[in-house]
Amino acid sequence: MAVLELPQWTALAPALVFVATALALFVIDSINPHTRNRSLLAGTTAVGALAALGVTVWFMLAGVGTPTAEGGLGVVELFGGQFVVDQMTLFFTTVVSIVTALVAVASYDYMADHTYQSEYYSLIMLAATGMAAMAAANSLVTVFIALELASLPSYALVAILKDNRGSVEAGLKYFLIGALSSAIFLYGISLVYGATGHLQLEAIADNLDGADAYGGLLGLGILMLIGGFAYKTASVPFHFWAPEAYEGAPAPISAFLSSASKAAGFVIAFRVFTTAFPVEATTAVIGIDWTTAFVVLAIVTMTLGNFAAATQDNVKRMLAYSSIGHAGYALIGLAGLSADGGELVMGAAMMHLFVYGFMNTGAFLFVALAEYWGVGRTFEDYNGLARQAPVACAALGIFMFSLAGIPPLGGFWSKYILFTETIGAAGTNGAMLVVAAALVVNSALSLYYYSRLVKAVWIEDPIGERDALAQPIGLYAAIVVAAVLTVVALPAFGPIADAAQQAAAVAIG
Amino acid sequence: MEGLFDYAPAIALFPLAAFVIALAFGPKLPKKGAIPGIVATGGSLLLSLAMLAAVAGGEEGYYHETLFTWAAGDAAGEIGTDAIEFTFGILIDPLAALMLVIVSLVAFLVHVFSLEYMNAEGETGLPRYYAGLGLFTFSMLAFVYADNLLMAFMFFELVGLCSFLLIGFWFRTRSAPSAAKKAFLVTRFGDYFFLIGVVAIAATFGTVQFAGEDSFVAAAAAAIDDGGQLFGFDAETWVTITGLLVLGGVIGKSAQFPLHTWLPDAMEGPTTVSALIHAATMVAAGVYLVARMFGYYALSPTALAIIAFVGGFTALFAATMGVVKDDIKQVLAYSTISQYGYMMLGLGVGGYVAGVFHLMNHAFFKALLFLGSGAVIVLMHHEQDMWKMGGLKDKAPVTYYTFLAGALALAGIVPFSGFWSKDEILYDALIVGLEQPLIMAAYAMGLIAVFFTGFYTFRMVFLTFHGEPRTETAEDPHSVGWAIKAPLLVLGVLATVAGLANLAPVAKLTGAEISFLEYWLDGEYGGLEALTYHSYHETVPFEEGAIGSETTTMLLGAGLSLGLALAGAFTAHALYNVPSPTRHTEKLGGAYDVLRSNYYQDEYQVWLAEGLTLPVARAADRFDQTVIDGAVDGVSSVSLFGGDRVKRIQSGIVTNYAALLVAGFIALLIVLGFLGGWFL
Repeated sequence: MAVLELPQWTALAPALVFVATALALFVIDSINPHTRNRSLLAGTTAVGALAALGVTVWFMLAGVGTPTAEGGLGVVELFGGQFVVDQMTLFFTTVVSIVTALVAVASYDYMADHTYQSEYYSLIMLAATGMAAMAAANSLVTVFIALELASLPSYALVAILKDNRGSVEAGLKYFLIGALSSAIFLYGISLVYGATGHLQLEAIADNLDGADAYGGLLGLGILMLIGGFAYKTASVPFHFWAPEAYEGAPAPISAFLSSASKAAGFVIAFRVFTTAFPVEATTAVIGIDWTTAFVVLAIVTMTLGNFAAATQDNVKRMLAYSSIGHAGYALIGLAGLSADGGELVMGAAMMHLFVYGFMNTGAFLFVALAEYWGVGRTFEDYNGLARQAPVACAALGIFMFSLAGIPPLGGFWSKYILFTETIGAAGTNGAMLVVAAALVVNSALSLYYYSRLVKAVWIEDPIGERDALAQPIGLYAAIVVAAVLTVVALPAFGPIADAAQQAAAVAIG
Repeated sequence: MEGLFDYAPAIALFPLAAFVIALAFGPKLPKKGAIPGIVATGGSLLLSLAMLAAVAGGEEGYYHETLFTWAAGDAAGEIGTDAIEFTFGILIDPLAALMLVIVSLVAFLVHVFSLEYMNAEGETGLPRYYAGLGLFTFSMLAFVYADNLLMAFMFFELVGLCSFLLIGFWFRTRSAPSAAKKAFLVTRFGDYFFLIGVVAIAATFGTVQFAGEDSFVAAAAAAIDDGGQLFGFDAETWVTITGLLVLGGVIGKSAQFPLHTWLPDAMEGPTTVSALIHAATMVAAGVYLVARMFGYYALSPTALAIIAFVGGFTALFAATMGVVKDDIKQVLAYSTISQYGYMMLGLGVGGYVAGVFHLMNHAFFKALLFLGSGAVIVLMHHEQDMWKMGGLKDKAPVTYYTFLAGALALAGIVPFSGFWSKDEILYDALIVGLEQPLIMAAYAMGLIAVFFTGFYTFRMVFLTFHGEPRTETAEDPHSVGWAIKAPLLVLGVLATVAGLANLAPVAKLTGAEISFLEYWLDGEYGGLEALTYHSYHETVPFEEGAIGSETTTMLLGAGLSLGLALAGAFTAHALYNVPSPTRHTEKLGGAYDVLRSNYYQDEYQVWLAEGLTLPVARAADRFDQTVIDGAVDGVSSVSLFGGDRVKRIQSGIVTNYAALLVAGFIALLIVLGFLGGWFL
């Protein structure tokens, strides 16, 4: 392939495609302001996202980011190491671009009566750009900028239903919590910079020795960085925005935030902690193993998310809490890093995020479909939907059982591998046993509320008469594709697992 | 010839196809599924004969092929293996080839017989019947050529399922479903131990193959030679334990004491089904399994002695019960239990050839007797009580003479087939018994049983066919057609001459080389070295003795058993071969009640179920309802309560969130800072 002959900066092509699409949407809007040509807008967005996906997959196949020792083209470093394109970058860019495409297609129907069409799509594209940039960011500065680039359009997207009180309120809360968290994050960056004198991640790692005198300072800085990541991934105690924002936002945006944005939050957390703060060197300076913080956060997050989800009556809110629970599962990837086999645990967490991207997007898109139909928000309102919409409800069953981790669906395999790797890591880090136990208990509990939804749509009788349900093409297509991807993730699991494990190994390497 | 082996899977697949056809199209077919069944079993028979020829004439003389691996993985075996595979494969050696012929022949004849016994009698539900027969035959044939223990177990279970379906064929009566359930549950009880045995063998040796370098038999022999410990036991003790666990399944299926109680009840099924169950499939499966993995049992003298003793005891025990039965099929049922006891005795004393020989002969004469009794039942318009028969001899000569041949074989009268094999079993038991007191006791029981066998057999013959007709139906019996007569004639000839296969005593006396079955099982015509008679015989740890010379012992034994058989037959002749026989059972006094009640075996097993198992099950249920369910309900209440609390934190007021967020962050900071010493 001809990748080598291209200039280095083209390695950022996926992000560039996103930004180009966003600009293209602005151009369309300036030529024809207030256009409501939904096919053109949603189509452009979807094509842009798929183009980004295509480029990413092409890079992966061509060997960009694969170490030269393994026959690849090597990791690409740009702008003096401010950005890096390796396997982990491409892996997460894949997740982001697929979710973006699904959301764009689903929005075609969901946002049909909306006034600000082109703004909506361009904001999605800009947020996606931020997420793609997060996957590649390799310096605390670029990390912060990418994070804000993803966050700011998100606030607007959550609040985009301007006539809807819930949407506006959610947007404001999201923004306020986001501002607080960004402040903490930025303060953390300044402390790290103060202790080590560097912002570029490898440089921080190289200069940890020099920070001996500022151990406490560095530790506080790291903890504040954790706060920033916890906000982006909706982990405890920075999760408060999530149920409100997901519930108030348009459902496709909830899907987008809870899947793509969360995955992007994890990629920067993975990169910063594996690259800038190698466990042993950092422990020597700050006096404590930072994985301890993640052990606590993982257990608390998954427990809180699942317990709160169990008692919800509102489907969208239940999914919001379940998404917090899944953040807890993914945090195990960082909690296990100090143990032998930590890279396997992190690989497993990446796999889980990958599969989660499809099944969670699908679940929220089903909610989008239900909102489109106007059937209501609670479990009771969903009763008996399967009689009128069997295809969509079959897909919902796949999403729910996959989220709960029932074999043979993709969610089972990722959770199973995560569990076995966690047990494997427990040999050198006893705390991982507790984490593994929490994982199992919470998964068992999660089956309760996931199957409750399946039972509602398939088994219960409708509580009242309902009109015939429309079959919006875009939403249906997005749901079916997500379901197919969730199922196909099973036979394709080998390559996904390999990709995730390799990416994790290289990142830690 | 070798290429023939490639068609081996078809032997079992033909009847499976017949099953599918009968199930799918049965109601529309002219004979409701009989024709496909006959064609399929006929095809299996021809192919089995071809296999027999291929084994005899081929260069390798056996066929061992893994067809399908359905699970493979890394698992450490106790003896140090590191991987295990579960496969479907085919093993056709002399033993399997012989058994394939027997099973497919009997199945074929039973299908033909059914044309008249079932179709002509206007039974309903025939497609179901033929589907059941097809599946039954398929399961048994696949079991016979299974090349590993797990596959054998699966088809063993399938055989059990089919017998359940067929015994309960007349499911609208009260007794048939109950008998079917009983057969299923009792054999399942034995199979439970079998399953544990399979798991134990797999876990110990990391293989479940019957034959070849990596068979569990070879691994067990090597382990015993090493003298190491397996699961905390001596290697030999462990082999005994696992062997006995597998034997649990054998005792259930082959109706050995104490799990024999299902078999007499199983007479509720159609007589053709009884013929198939008793001669070639279900009951034969147990003994065949012992023969199949004989190399394994040969390693353990304890297991062998237990097999021999259980066999000898069952032979006598069942024969005494057969003496007082009035129903013709009941007599045959107890004779089956008794005869399989002989086979177990033979195998248990290391008489591999004798056991297999009797398995073969028994298949022929018991199929003959059951089909003959089926013919009698047709003659008698579905009357089975022997006291209502009599004098059928002249009215149905073909039935009579073939039945008589079967009876002579069963009773062990020279020169009919049963004599030769039973004599060989008793001879093998005697020579081992001279050195081992326990085996001597087993031999003695087997010997006494010969007398009872002669007695009940001829009591049955005389009551049914001789004397004056005692009812109107016996005066004017229904006629029977070729579909009944032809199978009877074929089996009658076989029951008479099958003994020629292994005239061991004659061979010993004259020195002529005519013990063909022994050569066959010894691999002289082809076979696997490790699975041959002399290889087993070297392994079997029993000493052999003799009274005087070997020939004297043999003549003495043969004379004794023949004398006892004749004595039994003549006693029956004296008591029942009179124009109007009367019951003599009162003379037995209290013993009659005991025999009539089958030694209260059913009663104590029912008591075990109701008096012991039921209270335990109730207690377990109560435990489940209160403790387990209570704990589960408790967990869910706690979860929901906790979830409710968590939900309340989410108050909707953003300032609260900010406060909680910062509080959480500070809590984390204090903990980590304290642990990391940041505040110093």
